[in-house]
Amino acid sequence: MTISAPRDRVEELTVGGGARLEELVDRESLAQLAASFADLSGVGVRVFDAEGKLLADAALAVELMSYLMTLRQAKSAVESTVSSVKNLDPGPVGQASMDGVSGGRYRVVALEHDGRRVGRLVFGPYFPPSLRDIPSTLIELEPNLDLDRARGLLTLAPRVTDDAMDRMAKHARATLDVVMFSGLRALLTGSMHLAAVRESYRELQSKQEKLQVAYDRLKELDRLKSNFLATVSHELRTPLTSIIGYSEMLLEGIAGEIVGEQREFVTTIREKGEQLLGLIKGLLDLSKLESGTMSLRKATMEVAPLVRDVAQTMAPHAKKKGISLHVALEPALPALWADAERLRQVLLNLVENAIKFTPASGSVTISARAAAMAAAGGGGEDGGLVLLGAQRAAVQFRVADTGIGIPESERQRVFDAFYQVDSSSTREQGGTGLGLSIVKRLVEGHEGTVHVEANAPQGTVFVVTIPLKRATLRP
Amino acid sequence: MQLDFVNRELTIKLVYYGPALSGKTTNLQALHRVAAPGSSGRLMTLETKDDRTLFFDLLPLSFRAQSGLAVRLKVFTVPGQVIHASTRRLVLQGADGVAFIADSRVSETQANTDSFMDLKDNLREHGLSLRQMPLVIQFNKRDLPNIRSDEEIAKLGAQGREPVYLAIAMRGAGVVESFIGLLHLTWSALDAEHDLGRKFGFDSTEFMNGVAQKLGEKRTTPELLAACVGGALDVLRPEAAP
Ligand SMILES: Nc1nc2c(ncn2[C@@H]2O[C@H](COP(=O)(O)OP(=O)(O)OP(=O)(O)O)[C@@H](O)[C@H]2O)c(=O)[nH]1
Ligand SMILES: Nc1ncnc2c1ncn2[C@@H]1O[C@H](COP(=O)(O)OP(=O)(O)OP(=O)(O)O)[C@@H](O)[C@H]1O
Ligand SMILES: [Mg+2]
Ligand SMILES: [Mg+2]
Repeated sequence: MTISAPRDRVEELTVGGGARLEELVDRESLAQLAASFADLSGVGVRVFDAEGKLLADAALAVELMSYLMTLRQAKSAVESTVSSVKNLDPGPVGQASMDGVSGGRYRVVALEHDGRRVGRLVFGPYFPPSLRDIPSTLIELEPNLDLDRARGLLTLAPRVTDDAMDRMAKHARATLDVVMFSGLRALLTGSMHLAAVRESYRELQSKQEKLQVAYDRLKELDRLKSNFLATVSHELRTPLTSIIGYSEMLLEGIAGEIVGEQREFVTTIREKGEQLLGLIKGLLDLSKLESGTMSLRKATMEVAPLVRDVAQTMAPHAKKKGISLHVALEPALPALWADAERLRQVLLNLVENAIKFTPASGSVTISARAAAMAAAGGGGEDGGLVLLGAQRAAVQFRVADTGIGIPESERQRVFDAFYQVDSSSTREQGGTGLGLSIVKRLVEGHEGTVHVEANAPQGTVFVVTIPLKRATLRP
Repeated sequence: MQLDFVNRELTIKLVYYGPALSGKTTNLQALHRVAAPGSSGRLMTLETKDDRTLFFDLLPLSFRAQSGLAVRLKVFTVPGQVIHASTRRLVLQGADGVAFIADSRVSETQANTDSFMDLKDNLREHGLSLRQMPLVIQFNKRDLPNIRSDEEIAKLGAQGREPVYLAIAMRGAGVVESFIGLLHLTWSALDAEHDLGRKFGFDSTEFMNGVAQKLGEKRTTPELLAACVGGALDVLRPEAAP
């Protein structure tokens, strides 16, 4: 019978055909058991499995038998007895005896396990005390028999009564029964361990598959969402541009003078319209970035003018809030290979945030310096740097403020779309929570990194690192 | 069920299921105690920790019917603790009948329900339905205080389809009754499906009475079966018919 999975194995051992003797009892131990039994009883013992294979042989040298084996006729008679005994069926009672030509007796006992025959024990030869002399059959059979010598050897042969043999056989059987029981238990335990591990593995795998399916679905949904966003925001922009345009025209008095509250209302319409347009642009950017359809127009660009331009753009805004805006540039910054317009957008977003989340009389500093980053893109902090690639030259931008700061636990999440740190001050500031998610994607589009640090003694620093073009790898 | 035509041998698998500590192992121990030595093998307890079953217990019983058919019953318990879910499923595989051992205490009601749902799920995993499975329910630990009342169980039992037994497994009370009920249902289902009675010239009544006797019972099978409250013992499950 072939045995495949451990689960089937358990079934096979319990409700199926059961175990074979050889599986239940270690052969080495069986040999030792048989030897010690032979030692104790003075009678040889051999163990066969159900198919007649010899598993243990603790035959004892009986001098009479050895002598007979030197004679021609006797030898073949002894051999024939031994082979018949080997094949003797213990019958339904489970016990049988056979006498040999020497007068030696063999006892065959069935070994049962779980109600089934799994093997046989063969004891002998032993000589019943009732045997007084060499049997006449042997004398007739073997012309060369030295009767005196044979008689002398018979007195040395093991003498055991059938009763005693009964008890010994019973004892041997009981001992083996315990051994087989323990063997089966060990076998089952092992198989169950295996089966349980397999079953858990199977279970995990099927869960994993379900998760994968769910994940694929989510990804598909995400893609659909991006497409949807792109389409919808595009469609929204067109009428909105008209709304803004017309309200501007109204404000300019093209359709006649507007006064007082009218001007105030139209101004509000235009402001809100622009706010809405900003949001839609942001969404559009984000969905383009997410779907990977935003193309970056990279070119060689200088860092210093970019930073100064951003500062200039934001200066009025900072001034209005009573915040001082500084620029700190390292001399001789290397040129970047980047999309200048997008990098500008990154810095504008960060500076806008810095001003927004810094109270009056605070300060905001934009700085840039030459730096290096792991070529693999930010790996190596946990070791294995040597494997994760050489250092790559980069430019690092830092936007530092003295504002309300971002708690450690929120520093990852602020880059999620629509995520805003839940504080009342954020709520007051408005905004949609798209700025940083766009920043992150733009920076990643440049193979760069962005992260948040705390500013001492208070405030936030956003650190953006943009690598130089690959060709400028340091040696 | 395994059928060996050559040796005229039939092997049936019975599984004792239920929540942790409800007394599944105790049921087997009680059966082992009362079974005649020639009919019962050793009770094998596979891996325990603090007396909690980790893999399973196995009690092999064997009976020979007058027709010469050898019937081998392999009675298993599952580990009741929730964490051993996959082991329970493994042990349940190939079961011909299930005894659900519930803990009678009111506090254990939820655990009983959860375990029963778990049984249902695991049967389904094996492509079986609860309706097809010969099943008896035992409310064990009737000796404890704060248990669900006899009246309540009798009332619910009368409405359900499974025979329900009351037991104090620790003292052996109700154990043989539950077992005979389970064997009766299982045998009827197998007989209906495989026509065993005719194939083997097998007399079910004679066989069941023989089993009861070997379990030290003076009562006859009908008397033992009558110990159940509610449920249907004589009605063959329609799904089990060929
Ligand atoms: N009072 C009382 N206690 C019982 C009865 N039957 C079992 N117990 C006790 O309940 C506890 C758990 O019994 P077990 O038979 O080991 O429970 P189990 O269902 O095999 O538990 P797991 O192997 O963990 O699934 C033991 O301490 C038993 O002595 C009963 O009828 N009455
Ligand atoms: N410099 C900063 N100091 C303190 N908190 C900040 C700072 N920059 C960002 N945050 C926090 O991160 C959140 C997300 O910023 P993000 O720029 O993505 O959104 P926003 O500024 O709220 O809205 P939007 O930029 O879309 O108008 C902010 O709402 C704020 O809670
Ligand atoms: Mg922002
Ligand atoms: Mg148990």
